[in-house]
Amino acid sequence: MSVLARSVGNAFRNKVRTAAVVAVLAVAIGLALAMLVANQAVGAKVQELNASVGTVLTVNPAGGQGFEGGGEPLTTDQATTAAGVPNVSAVVGTSSLRLRNAAEAAAQAAAQTGQTGQTGPGGQAGQGGPGAQAAATLTTSLTAAVDAGTLGNRNQQANGTAGAAGTTQQPVRSLPITATGIGAGVDTTGKALNITQGSGLGDYTAASTAALLGTTLAEKNNLTVGSTFTINDQTYTVSGLFDAGTTFGNNAVFVTLPSAQALAGTPGELSSMIVTVNSMDNVATTKTALQTALGADKADVTQGQNLQTAVSSLDSVKNISFIAFVAALGTAGLIILLIMVMLVRERRREIGVLKAIGAPNRTIGLQFVLEALVLAALGSAVGAAIASFASGGIASALISSNTTTTTATTGRGFPGGQGGPFGGASQLLNSVTATASPGVIAGGIAAVFGVAIIGALVPALLTARIRPIEVLRGE
Amino acid sequence: MIEVQNLVRTFNSGDRTIKPVNDVSFVLEQGTLASIVGKSGSGKSTLLSLLGALDKPTSGDVVVNGVSLAGMPDAKLTEYRRRDIGFVFQQFNLIPNLSAVDNVMLPMEFAGVRKAARAQRAGELLEQVQLDPSKHGRRINRLSGGEQQRVAIARALANEPKLILADEPTGNLDEQTGDHIIELLSSLSRDHATTILVVTHDRALANKTDRRFRLQQGKLTEEPVRGRAVAANV
Repeated sequence: MSVLARSVGNAFRNKVRTAAVVAVLAVAIGLALAMLVANQAVGAKVQELNASVGTVLTVNPAGGQGFEGGGEPLTTDQATTAAGVPNVSAVVGTSSLRLRNAAEAAAQAAAQTGQTGQTGPGGQAGQGGPGAQAAATLTTSLTAAVDAGTLGNRNQQANGTAGAAGTTQQPVRSLPITATGIGAGVDTTGKALNITQGSGLGDYTAASTAALLGTTLAEKNNLTVGSTFTINDQTYTVSGLFDAGTTFGNNAVFVTLPSAQALAGTPGELSSMIVTVNSMDNVATTKTALQTALGADKADVTQGQNLQTAVSSLDSVKNISFIAFVAALGTAGLIILLIMVMLVRERRREIGVLKAIGAPNRTIGLQFVLEALVLAALGSAVGAAIASFASGGIASALISSNTTTTTATTGRGFPGGQGGPFGGASQLLNSVTATASPGVIAGGIAAVFGVAIIGALVPALLTARIRPIEVLRGE
Repeated sequence: MIEVQNLVRTFNSGDRTIKPVNDVSFVLEQGTLASIVGKSGSGKSTLLSLLGALDKPTSGDVVVNGVSLAGMPDAKLTEYRRRDIGFVFQQFNLIPNLSAVDNVMLPMEFAGVRKAARAQRAGELLEQVQLDPSKHGRRINRLSGGEQQRVAIARALANEPKLILADEPTGNLDEQTGDHIIELLSSLSRDHATTILVVTHDRALANKTDRRFRLQQGKLTEEPVRGRAVAANV
């Protein structure tokens, strides 16, 4: 009978005790594996979020918020400053325009002429929202592909463009069309434009009369590659069509940056900057450096889609699950240590017998280590089954618990509802799926075996101290 | 040859010092069958443990074939027990959850004997000690005391040791089996030059040995065996 066979036999010598030990071990190992699975799932999600956020930072004027913000416009000088910040690999400026259909704008102007004294606060011939400084509103021959609908009309009235005290029914308007002057072939989030027909704009840093249209906008206006349209009476030729993936995103036009600046009459001004960092690892430090270089009172630097909080929260969950994994693993190791110490004490005489008939210390030690591994293997088998059922629930509980804590701490409501600051993040968090993959389970069990060996080494070394004369104890 | 030189073993019990082995010296030639008799607690088992390197003497030495056990490192002592010594313990000290044949194979496993060879030899030894073949694979805790004793004797013979130390080897055996075991030990000493030292209360066994010692209050004296002269080397 080999040492291994003897160890297996010894592990089952007292079946009731073995069952109890395996049950306790299984709980500890199951918890450890569940934590590892949760850790891996959350880690993968963090990577996914980081990848979706990418290495892009967005710089907006301080106080700016899309078309509604205030503050001072960014400048090309600031773009040069940004480009000089360490780890910045590219800076792309944008200039945002809002286009209104020329006929619709004329009709609205006529209607407002007949409503003396009814112009809403901040209303500027119905073209600008209150304090709108981030984008100029221009006229175009294009008709928006998106109807205003209830929400659009409500928003336009709230913005004062219709006159707060007006009693006359206003003409129904479509949503404005977003036009963006861009310094490279990317969208406003820094992603490459998905051009489905035609070609790009060539040199995005030179004035040009070429334009890219969203697919739905082109379809609405019966335009295709080579067709023309006007912006402020300037004729533009469609050089390509792009697909942004959303209805709103496709109700848009891209022109080169100098063209947009010329149309808006704001040469040298930028609505925003898209800054690309050379590595994901450098994003956080570069963001800080960029904010410092541009000045917090001049520019707001943000990462991606406000996902930092989500990533940070998931990182906390990841850390908690890792600590819990280590703690549960340590507990399993401690259980094995204590059980094996107890067994060594119980079998002192038997160890003495083995020594008396010539067993070397290493053979006896190995026998106890293998016995511990048999117990660990049994515990792991049951623990893996527990983990496969419990890991999803534990991961959800951890994430839920952590986000609740965030809510209580920040008072802002991390998960966020519709329109909340982190609504998207909430969806991302909810989509964390903890699946007990064989690779992760195998890795966890390998760690359990490592801990079991460490836990069994101490009692195995204790056997070396037992003298063979123990065999005569009681004789 | 085993040469015991002024062997002393003391134990402290509270403020008392006990000397179960007190200045014991003797020489056993290779192939001698010897017995030690004495009352319970006279130190017989302690003397056996010193000869078998289970315990270390307070002073004195045991020299086996010219090699002194005093000062020998533990690993060497383990090797000595594995290669040169066969023990038969009074309480058998078999591994309870192993079968009879597995118990006999254990010393051979530690000596590096191949599995097939040790299985064959274990079977032969169990037959020599007259254990029913149907019980070779039976667990120790399902064997009677006499059967366990025979397994213990077979285990002691496993590695063909030069010295067999047996504590009451016939104590749990019926007369017939006891006689057979005595004959087996005699033939080992006679035919294989195995030195055998038995501790016994069995006067019949003691009388069948080549030399007989009496241990009394730690002191060893040799007694004449019927028909034989006392050896001169005590």
